Amino acid sequence: MLLVVIALGFSMAIMISIPSGIVANQTATQRLTENYNELINNMQEEINATLTLIECSPSSGFTFGPMPGPGGSENFLDESIISDIESIQGVKDVVPFFEKSEGTNQTVERFGRTFTFLRPDYTIMGVSLNSSLIDHYSVLPMNITEGRNLREGDSGVVLLGLNNTGYFEAGVGDKVNILGSDFTVVGVHGASGFREAIVLYMNISDAQKITDLAGKISRLDVYTEDQSDVDGIASTIEAEYPELSVTTASERLSRLTGMQDMYQNTLQNAEATISQTQTTAFQVIGIAIAATSLIVLFTMLYTVRERTKEIGILKAIGFSNWNVMSQFMLEGVLISLMAGVVGIVIGSVGAPTITSLLLPHISMFGTQRGPGSFQGYTNPEAPRAPGSQVATAALDPQLMLLAFGVAVLLGALGSLYPAWRASRTSPMEALRYE
Amino acid sequence: MSELVLETEKLDKVYRLGGRKVRALSDVNLQVKKGDFVSIMGPSGSGKTTLLNMLGCLDKPTHGKVILDGVDVTKVREKNLYKIRRHKVGFIFQTFNLLPYLNAIENVGLPMEGTKKSGDEKRKRARELLKMVGLSEREEHRSHRLSAGEQQRVAIARALANNPAIVLADEPTGNLDSKTGYEIVRLLSKLSTDQGTTIVMVTHDSRVASYAGRILFLYDGRLKAQERRGTQLVKKLTCPYCGREIQPDDTFCPRCGKRV
Repeated sequence: MLLVVIALGFSMAIMISIPSGIVANQTATQRLTENYNELINNMQEEINATLTLIECSPSSGFTFGPMPGPGGSENFLDESIISDIESIQGVKDVVPFFEKSEGTNQTVERFGRTFTFLRPDYTIMGVSLNSSLIDHYSVLPMNITEGRNLREGDSGVVLLGLNNTGYFEAGVGDKVNILGSDFTVVGVHGASGFREAIVLYMNISDAQKITDLAGKISRLDVYTEDQSDVDGIASTIEAEYPELSVTTASERLSRLTGMQDMYQNTLQNAEATISQTQTTAFQVIGIAIAATSLIVLFTMLYTVRERTKEIGILKAIGFSNWNVMSQFMLEGVLISLMAGVVGIVIGSVGAPTITSLLLPHISMFGTQRGPGSFQGYTNPEAPRAPGSQVATAALDPQLMLLAFGVAVLLGALGSLYPAWRASRTSPMEALRYE
Repeated sequence: MSELVLETEKLDKVYRLGGRKVRALSDVNLQVKKGDFVSIMGPSGSGKTTLLNMLGCLDKPTHGKVILDGVDVTKVREKNLYKIRRHKVGFIFQTFNLLPYLNAIENVGLPMEGTKKSGDEKRKRARELLKMVGLSEREEHRSHRLSAGEQQRVAIARALANNPAIVLADEPTGNLDSKTGYEIVRLLSKLSTDQGTTIVMVTHDSRVASYAGRILFLYDGRLKAQERRGTQLVKKLTCPYCGREIQPDDTFCPRCGKRV
């Protein structure tokens, strides 16, 4: 009987675990969808907000896009380019940026070649603290978590990124030493991504001074008077400054569309895998349900046979068919209840194992290339490898209760026929049975 | 003339065994009055148990009627027979047939399951019955911790649970040593005398049978016309002619040789 309960427990554990696997899968996909949609919306907003923006940065064989990440291009432009571009007709404002990452060089050998790249500890972002620029354009970070933002006229002060506080072991009001110069921390900005978390902001002239790069800038944001001027001005800049890589909103839009397609593909893959998983899951659950009912059926048939004499006695002393039947039904349900408890115990311990054993597709769905691999639009909150989330399928108490109910129902169903047979036993023949 | 509790009319039972007809009972006419203690004697295969099964509604006759407490049970539908078995009949078996996983008091209370009695009432009644059969001390004992005689007493108490019109005992002493067997049959006899319980007992032991008020003989499925009075029912038997003690199954006095 103990074995029966354990065997039943296993099949019930399967019934309990599999749906949580599916739910976990769906939750992961849903999160994926939400994250991607949010990402796409954010990009769309950014593009809408900067339709008049032309981004200019030194072109480099290694840069992936117009916005070099940390350790990316370290080519610098001469400051004089600002006034040159400002003089182009239709240009409203030019916002210069000075960006330099500090850290250690690392060497990696891949495919028989040696690559050297900078592993940044922090990135210095020098910005032009001119109120006509910082008040109108996206120059400084938006969310300040501590202290204040930089403002016009600030010098000798720094706005740290979230991860900088740990690296410099400093907070608001402390002094930090950056490349030999002391700066007072006026605030901390909450990063919107990993790339942002190590970026510290300061006056562009301070940045140029401490890096010994006076008169140099990293890139320019050029804003036009009117959206219709954007293409014309962009081609003028491209023609006059071949060393610049120029992107406009429309180019970014096309890149965005590409990324959207990519995300949509990922989602479609995930959904396809989900439906495949569900099919498998339904099959497994079906088998588990059949197994449970059959185990109860055969156990109860055996019990009824074993206890034929007892049935005879009960009927001889006045038990009705219904009395006998309900007695055996009750026993079947009791066995299922016990097995249900065992199943929940096994299920809560072994759900991840059971789901990964029985649903091999789960761990393969999704893509290893999460959105994090796209430079410029990093979002660390986006799921990188959904497979790993699914493997740790958590049991949902409601689902467990439902599975428990189904288990008990199956117990009742499985004992229906044996109990009916028991009730139909002729008392005289049953009494003779040994 | 007291009322009839049990009456059979031209009772026939024919079994088919592999295409062959076997007549187990043939034209059995039996009348049992309220308070009677009747023994049915007969050799193995004479149809004793078959007859008892008919009387206890465990089996249906091929022909004839069984009228139990005024009801023709042969006309009662199979699915309703349990009511007759529950309320009108008490069964005592040769092998006691207690449920091993229940204790004495639960076994006695079993026939009351499904009746309208409350739990307390059932328990009170079961306790009363166990006291009647002298097992008050053994209420909580399971059957394997009871002696054979005690088990049969529990079975007797169980048979009386719903105050049945008739108690049917199938070789109640068959699995007991002779001393315990006599104790049991004396208990039945006492129940009949003291409580007015109507009992029909099947046995092939003539000494056991002699405790009954009436002894009937069944040969090859037919009741013999001859019927005897039990001798041990009331007191010890003596020869009415010479006064010497005689055995219940003696037909002639061993001393004076006269028919007793």
